[in-house]
Parts: sequence; structure tokens; C-alpha cells
Amino acid sequence: MSTTTEPHASTGPDAALDIRGLRLNLPGTARPVLDGVDLTVAPRETVALVGESGSGKSLTSRSVLRLLPPGAVAEGRVLVEGRDVLAMNPGELRRLRTHTAAMIFQDPRAATNPLRRIGDFLTESLRLNAQVPAEEATERAVRMLDAVGLGDHVLRRYPGQLSGGMLQRVMIAAALMGDPTLILADEPTTALDVTTQAEVVGLLDDLRGQFGTGLLFVTHDLGLAAAISDRVYVMYAGRIAETGPAEELFQRPRHPYTRALLDSTPRLTAPRGRLAAIGGQPPSLRQELTGCPFAPRCRLATDVCTERAPALIPVADGNPQPHLAACHHSDQLTEVTADA
Amino acid sequence: MPDTLREAGDAPRPDTPGGRDSAAVLEVDGLCRAFGEVKAVDDVSFTLARGGSLGIVGESGSGKTTTARIVVGLERADAGRVRVGGGSGGPQRGRAARLARAREVQMVFQDPFLSLDPRTTVEAVLRETLRLHFPGRDHPARIAELLDQVGLGAREASALPRQLSGGQRQRVAIARALAVEPRILVLDEAVAALDVSVQAQILNLLADIRKQTGIAYLFITHDLGVVRCVTDDVIVMRHGRVVEAGSTAGVLADPRHPYTRLLLDSVPRPGWDPKHIAAARRAL
Amino acid sequence: MTTATLIRRRPGLAGIRTDRSWLFRICLGFVALLVLLAIVAPWIAPHDPNAVDLGSALAGPSGAHPAGVDASGRDTLSRLLVGARTSLLGPLGVVVFSTVAGVAVGLAAGWRGGWLDSLLSRGTELVFAFPGMLLAILIVSVYGPGLTAPVLALGVAYLPYVSRLTRSLVLAERERPYVEAYRVQGHSGLQISLRHVLPNIAPVVLAQSTINFGYALIDLAGLSFLGLGVPPLTPDWGRMVFDGESAIQSGYPLSAILPCLAIVMTVVAFNVVGERWADQVARRDR
Repeated sequence: MSTTTEPHASTGPDAALDIRGLRLNLPGTARPVLDGVDLTVAPRETVALVGESGSGKSLTSRSVLRLLPPGAVAEGRVLVEGRDVLAMNPGELRRLRTHTAAMIFQDPRAATNPLRRIGDFLTESLRLNAQVPAEEATERAVRMLDAVGLGDHVLRRYPGQLSGGMLQRVMIAAALMGDPTLILADEPTTALDVTTQAEVVGLLDDLRGQFGTGLLFVTHDLGLAAAISDRVYVMYAGRIAETGPAEELFQRPRHPYTRALLDSTPRLTAPRGRLAAIGGQPPSLRQELTGCPFAPRCRLATDVCTERAPALIPVADGNPQPHLAACHHSDQLTEVTADA
Repeated sequence: MPDTLREAGDAPRPDTPGGRDSAAVLEVDGLCRAFGEVKAVDDVSFTLARGGSLGIVGESGSGKTTTARIVVGLERADAGRVRVGGGSGGPQRGRAARLARAREVQMVFQDPFLSLDPRTTVEAVLRETLRLHFPGRDHPARIAELLDQVGLGAREASALPRQLSGGQRQRVAIARALAVEPRILVLDEAVAALDVSVQAQILNLLADIRKQTGIAYLFITHDLGVVRCVTDDVIVMRHGRVVEAGSTAGVLADPRHPYTRLLLDSVPRPGWDPKHIAAARRAL
Repeated sequence: MTTATLIRRRPGLAGIRTDRSWLFRICLGFVALLVLLAIVAPWIAPHDPNAVDLGSALAGPSGAHPAGVDASGRDTLSRLLVGARTSLLGPLGVVVFSTVAGVAVGLAAGWRGGWLDSLLSRGTELVFAFPGMLLAILIVSVYGPGLTAPVLALGVAYLPYVSRLTRSLVLAERERPYVEAYRVQGHSGLQISLRHVLPNIAPVVLAQSTINFGYALIDLAGLSFLGLGVPPLTPDWGRMVFDGESAIQSGYPLSAILPCLAIVMTVVAFNVVGERWADQVARRDR
């Protein structure tokens, strides 16, 4: 699916998104909510960012538009088309949000004003932020609605008159209005039914090819991530635990957390019976972390895991794209997988 | 559409959901409920065996939640019959009937963040239920036993809901339902709001509890993976009607109704083709 | 709802608040001091508040009379201190009556719904339509002066504010899944509403009642100023402003200005405290 070829070819000025060493501190927490996140999305590439609640996956995607919680202190660089979002002035930030990067939220109902017509909603940003004439904006809205498979009669409807799936398609049309180079989709199908999910995901994939945008797909659903993305990042406790090409990562996970997540998902193909649940809870934000954040729940953990945080290092070679994992014992995991 | 119902064509199995057998703990027959013009539940029948586990699968608007709410008595039916534990099942009023119903059927709700009173500690939640149903028993001992059963300790007993994680809250909700010692537990998307790793813990816990107590589950969910994991039998609902029913393994391995096939195909997996599913959905 | 979810899921965000706590603390301190002074007033007042010393009438502040003397020769400080009792007791009666009755009406209307809701809501709207002060004046003119009649009248006039708020809160709370969970457990509606719904909405209602306290104080002082509240000799801030009228005309405004100041500061303090509590309740992490 991907057009990128060389390792690290996606970094640098031609990447749609290049996050380097992003740290995010919130007041009242004992550790950074994001701790040194590195992530890239190449043009036309679909990248999935997987994690459980509290892992920092939504904060990572929101930081791309600098939608940060009050009091947050960000370090590192978030480059969209080579320019640092964290250093932008309000005008540049508005241009970024209107034209360069767009976000699709989890709950389309919560993201629309129930008292405004869809037409107003779609054209508002262009008319107000980019001074596009109303007629031209409406014309574009009609074309975008057509691209997501909706007729122009939708323009005159209110959000309450559309189903969840239709409304999420409107949200996708809205995201495309400014012709962005990057789309951030934050759990865009979680609030939808499974059959509708397929439709929305198929549409996103289509449009990504058609409009040449990069897509960062944030989800908690490993199966979905495997199904749609070129590369996957798995996050745990504000850090990237593992990243690599989707297929390889799910067939040969090299981080115990990725493997445990795969094992604990009730799937249609796995043998029936008890699930291999991960014991315990993810670390709280009030708790300082030394060493590997997953160590207390990990069955491979040894003394080194609680003493020293593992670096994100390459675990497999011979791939066009790097497979990295942050684990002191990732080579042991291969053996475990081979045995099983 | 009725010809795809397995009960009609399949070889008879003693524990098919449609079958009538004496060991049934819940019999639902011809249930109907309309909200205005919309028929939310339309002629739904099924049987839940004693100690069995029946899944109701469907998407939003399929009527699965309304069915569950009628079974626990939160919603009334326009027509049809719900027979719980061999009782008469007619509409009864008054304290005694209310308590008797509660002792037959209990429910665990979807959202563990909202289904507990924010001002009541875990211990007080359980004590309140025990006082209502079993006045004069040794409550502290029973509370400790219930908490132990769902894997919570003394530390959580004095906690308020907001001090607990989602998984812990759902454990409290399960303990609260078990406190009544019901014969049926209705689980309405009880693991849908939980993270994958926590969801697995709760699913394992539910399996253990059924093995220990012989309680029967009515499991309402949209997730076929979950259905496969915890149910013996399944019914598939669409637009208020049952489109397919049978043993879980059978239905998932060899779906007869196109809608069931669509649901199965829609589960994301490597090599998944969303466009094919979208086309199949429109064709249906 | 969505923000609440966000905050709940990220424990670190719950502690962030922009606070003006210094203002709140000053006001809370002022209220506490006021209540304390009102309680011990008879023992710390330097003079009998009704002792007349015509010789020093309209005298300015001095060692014997730190806040001066009014036109009838009574010590202003003593009257302020002892007057705090009536001035606080009156609004307290109004707030207690309107809160208890308003919560009962609102809870019944919101929980039961249907015809009872229509009956109670239309009834309270009728009271709403009738100006509270006018109602009080009417009752006082029928029953003669005294504290009970105006307090009851204002209590009735304030009832709709509390009952409407309670009703809307009950309607929202009733939809929460935990209420259904209790139903499934076999608890009766009365039990659920009294043991669970009421405690959950109480903080909001009490915050509103604290704000009502300030308004009731102004209304009662206004009635006293019109000569319709407390009997003539009772020390009361509103009455003191009324009595001070002639002193102002004579060019000695102190005995009227001090009770005015007391009223204004008390009302402001109660409003700040009440607003702050309301804010805290609204932001409470559930």
C-alpha cells in the first residue's frame, strides 16, 4: 500500500509528519504524559498509532495540531511539512489547521453543532480563515461530499438528521475541505457499528490514495490497525513500545506488550477458552517511572528492566522499513513466539 | 427470512436457543416493543438454559438492548411473554414482586463510569443490596467473599468509584449483581467500554464465575470475538428481528444468513477488504 | 459530557483550576466572623443596644462609643452587633424554609413526572409571577409587624427558584445508569431518590441557597427599612438604616452608613462563597 521505500526516507522535510523527541508535561503529574515520542508519516502513507486509554496516543495526534490541554509544556519538535508546529505563531497555526492538517474525531455528533446546517459546517473554516468566497467554498463542499459518497442535498440537512456513519463521512469531507497533506483520525470508527466501520475505513483509504494525503490512524483496535495500515506504532505509558511494518509487527511482535495485547484480544481465529489476560494496571500518571514502564506486568521482566529504561532499537534487519522495539529482552520473545 | 433460522431446519439439539426444555431458566416468547412507528423488538423468542450462556449479537438499532431491558424489567413489552425461572412472568407490582424479580435476574451495564453512584463506596454498595435482600445475615463476611470472588481486595472496599479504574468498577458492578444471588445475569455490552487487556481479565472472570456458581448469562454485544469467547449459543438480531440462531461455534463457522456473514466479514483482520464489505452491506 | 470524560480518563488533568481563592477565603472568613460575632453579641456589646443616652445623641466615634451614637442616643456598635442576630436569623429562616420545601417540591415533580410534575410546576410558576416583596408586604399588612410573617412570605417567594433547580437536576440525575442499576437491584423509587439522587444533587442546591441567603438578607432589610419587618425597638440593620434617615438629614450619616456597609459586605460575601461552591460542584470529578 505504501509508496515509501528507504528506511528513514520518510523523515526529513518531505515527510507529511515528523515528530521528534516529543515530551509533554502536565501540571500535577509525576511523569511526562508523552516521553520522547518519535513518529513519522510519509505522504500517501497510512500509519496506525495503537494504545490503550491513557497511553498518550490521542495526545500525540492532538499535539500535531497543537491542541494541548491547559498548562501542558511540550518539548521536542513536531514537524508538519518540515515546519515546527510547536513554534508556530497563531496565524501560522490557523493556516496549518485550515490547510495542512485536519483531524477527524471519534464522535462525529459531539464534533458538530446540532443547530448549524452541514453546508455551513463544511464551508465555515474556508470562508472565515482563508477568505474563500461563499460560492467557491460551497462548490468545493459539494465536490468533497461527492468524494465521500454523499449527495449535495446533505448541505441543507442538520447533523441530527443524519446517521452516525453518514455524519462521520461528512466529517471526512470537512477534513478534506482545506486540501490537507495530513489527516489525523482519532478513533474515527469507535462510535460506529462494525459494518459501518468497514465503509468509513474503506473510504479513508480511497481518499488517501486519491488526494495524496498521509493518514495517522489512532486506534485501540489491533485488528483494525493490522488491516488498514502500512506501519504501526504501539504506545504504552507515553512511550513508543514498538514500531514496524504492520504485517511483521503482528506476526512477529518483538515487544512483550504488543504480544500480550494480541493474545488478550478475543478473536475469531484464535482457539477458544481462556484469554491470556495481562495482569495489573497501566502505570498511573501520579507515579514516577524508573526503567521499563511495562516491567511490573511483564513475564520476561528481570532486574535490568526495573533499573534502566530500554531504548527503541532495531530488532530485525533486511526490511525496507525498520522494525524497532523498546525491550531489553526482545530476542527472548522470538523464541517464545517460535515455541508457541 | 424465517427459513434461515436454524431451529427450523437444523437437526434438533437439546440446548438450541429455540428449543423448549425443562432446564430453561429464561423463556422469551414472541416479544414485541414499538417506539412510535419503529418496531424496536419484533417477535423475538429465545430460551436460556440453566447455567447456559446466550449471546445476542446485533448493531445499534437491532433491538438487542431493548430486549435485555425488557428481560430485567426496565422496559415493558407490548406483546409477548418473559418467563423467568419457571415463574408466571405476568406484570406484577409491589415490593415482594420487585424483590423476587431482582433475585432472578441481575444486570451489568455498559459504562462502568456511570453505573455506580459516585458518592457510595464499594462496601456500601454491596451492604445496601445485602440489607435489602438478605436482612439479618452476616454482611461483612459476605462482602469480603463477594469482593474476593471478583478479584478485589480490602483496599478497594472503602474506595469511591472515582478512585477505581474502569476494570475495577466493572468488577464492583459484577459483585453487586452477584450479591443478590440471581440465576440469570444480563450483561449489556459489559466489556465494550474497557481496554483490551482489562477486557480479557473481565471475560476470564465471567467464565470463572459461571463455572463456580452455575449462573446463566445473557450476553448482549456487538463484538463477535467476545461472543465466541463467552457464549454457548447465539442469536443474531437485525431491525428488531432474530435473523439467525444456533450454537455459537456453528453460527460463526457456517453462517446461513447474509447479515451474519456480513457481520463476520466486517471484523477487521489482515487482508481485510473494506470495499467488499461496504458493497455487501448496500446489497443487503 | 465529553470534557468530563476527558478529565476522568486522565487523572492528571483533574487538579488544574484557575483559582481566585484569596477572595473566596476572605469572604468565607468574613462570613465565619460575622456568625461568631452574632452568637456572642450580647456578651461583647459595650452597651445595651436599647439604652438611650440623649445627652450624647449623634456623637461621633469616641472611646466610649467606638462607632458613634445614633439620633435617639443609642450606641451604634452595640446595635450593629446585636442587630447581626436578627439580620442573619431572618434570611436563615427564609433559606431553610425555601430549601426544604423547594427540594421536596422539585424532587417530587422531577422524579414522579406526569400530572404531579404539571401540577407542581404550574403552581410554582404562579408564585414566580407574583413579586416576592409584594407578597411579603401583603402578609405583613395582614398579620402586623414581626419577623415570622416576612420570613414565611419570602420563604414562599424563594421556593420556586429552588424547586425549579431541583427539578431540572433530578431530571438529569434520573437518567443516569446508576439509577437504573438500583432499580434492577429491587430498590424502590422512594429509596433511590432519597438515598442516592438527593445526596448527589444536594451540593448544587446548597450552593444556590447560599446565594439566595444574600438576596433574602437584602429583601428583609428592605422590608425593615419600610417599617414592615421587625418591631421598632429590635436592633436590626435594615431598621437601623431607616432610623438613621433623620441622622443623615442632620448631617451625621455614620449611624446609617455603617449598617448599610454591613448589609452590602455580608451579601457580597455570601454571593462569593455560594458562587465558588457552585463552581466547585460543577467541576467536581465524578
